[in-house]
Amino acid sequence: MLNLFEITDPQNSIEWMLFLTRKYLGMFIEGTGLTLYIATIGTLLGFVLGYVVGIIQDLGSSTGDPLVKRVAIRLAKLVATLYVEAFRDTPMIVQAMIIYYGVRQAGFEMTPVVAGIVVTVLNTGAYMAETVRGGIGSIDAGQREGALSMGMSPMKTMLYVVLPQAFQNVMPEMANTFLTNLKMTSVLNVIAVQELFMAAKTVGGNYYKYFESYLVIAVIYFVLCFAFNQVFLLVERHMRDTDDYALAVEYLEGD
Amino acid sequence: MDEAILNIQDLGKSFGDHEVLRKIDLEVHEGEIICIVGSSGSGKSTLLRCINRLEHQTTGKVFFHGHEVGDAQRDVNEYRAKVGMVFQSFNLFNNLTVLENCMLCTRKVLHLSKEEAFGRAIEHLKEVGMAPFINAKPSQLSGGQKQRVAIARSLCMNPEVLLFDEPTSALDPEMVGEVLGVMKQLASTGLTMVVVTHEMAFARDVSTRTVFMDRGYVVEDAPPSELFTNPKSPRTREFLSRYLAA
Repeated sequence: MLNLFEITDPQNSIEWMLFLTRKYLGMFIEGTGLTLYIATIGTLLGFVLGYVVGIIQDLGSSTGDPLVKRVAIRLAKLVATLYVEAFRDTPMIVQAMIIYYGVRQAGFEMTPVVAGIVVTVLNTGAYMAETVRGGIGSIDAGQREGALSMGMSPMKTMLYVVLPQAFQNVMPEMANTFLTNLKMTSVLNVIAVQELFMAAKTVGGNYYKYFESYLVIAVIYFVLCFAFNQVFLLVERHMRDTDDYALAVEYLEGD
Repeated sequence: MDEAILNIQDLGKSFGDHEVLRKIDLEVHEGEIICIVGSSGSGKSTLLRCINRLEHQTTGKVFFHGHEVGDAQRDVNEYRAKVGMVFQSFNLFNNLTVLENCMLCTRKVLHLSKEEAFGRAIEHLKEVGMAPFINAKPSQLSGGQKQRVAIARSLCMNPEVLLFDEPTSALDPEMVGEVLGVMKQLASTGLTMVVVTHEMAFARDVSTRTVFMDRGYVVEDAPPSELFTNPKSPRTREFLSRYLAA
């Protein structure tokens, strides 16, 4: 059998894809690694930011609170709103440029990878904040009242009662965000991050075989996203409540 | 006369132009079981929610052991821990099991040890006959079971007063009995209770005082033996005759 990866004189697109894959295997692997790295770190930190901002946007203050606290809450909410709007209403590719060149112009050193992570975190945070706010809003007001009526502080109520339930509702959207980020890292090639897209661009340029080169990374993106999606579906199924529970027979009375 | 646990003075509540509560004066003493009755929209539930501070009154004051309940969040939290509330729609925490529902607030608010919180939870779940269901989630229980767990959850806080906001109104007729049974049993232990209800038989047989509310006013406040047999206000008479005829 002909070993498909031993092609030295590729004749058609399939053969070119195999040829390029073999020849630049290291570059594709490194690109995949960096793409995964930025997407993972960026998404996880973005989630944290998103939850914090989402909770801030949901804060309320009672009339009995000291003036300082009320002003602080108002200010925090204003900043949160401005941030969310700024990042939701501009393209990520433009944000990448502005942050990367802006930081350099201000006289600070920032590697493209760090800039890429920062952009991903800020972008994810903005979208996630809205998702979290929606998730919090979807929880019945009675859940909150049940906790408050027993003396739980609003913050503890959020932490132990509202957020765990909102989290479950928001789970599918969080998985979605990660997949989006996995693909959106491709725009970071504009600030010279050596991720997958950049790898394809470079490889394609070497032989003027752009079509085949981008097809290679399309396959890689597809396999990654498909695989992660299956994992997320499994996790989601696992987290769903079962219909069974064990009766605590030791407390049964009567017989 | 002994000092009141709760003393509500000149309480008023408006939602926009709509005046829901007007000039409410009410005292709750230790061991009393006060049933608040009246037609829908008379302000009964809003009064209860104002007492627990889930609504903020527009005018008037609430005193707890002679001290005004302040506006600061910390004071409100402390006060609520001593004044429990049972809701029409149960409001059990859907993400937690029956046992966890009964332990969360004793752990996080009263800072009891795990053993102590567990002990209290089992004690009160036994009291309402729900101990075998400690591993169940609220979604796996019937309405009557949920309400009994909700009552146990409130009892775990050792409240000085327990407020009931139409605890049986969301239940099937068959389940009303089991919840009222638990409440009667609680009443016999000397727990101070304020119960908003449409169950006239319960009010008549169990309460030590029955309060009739109409259009935001307390119209009549008397022992049930008086209020049910010899109501003073024509409005009370009209309300009762409609209920007793039905």
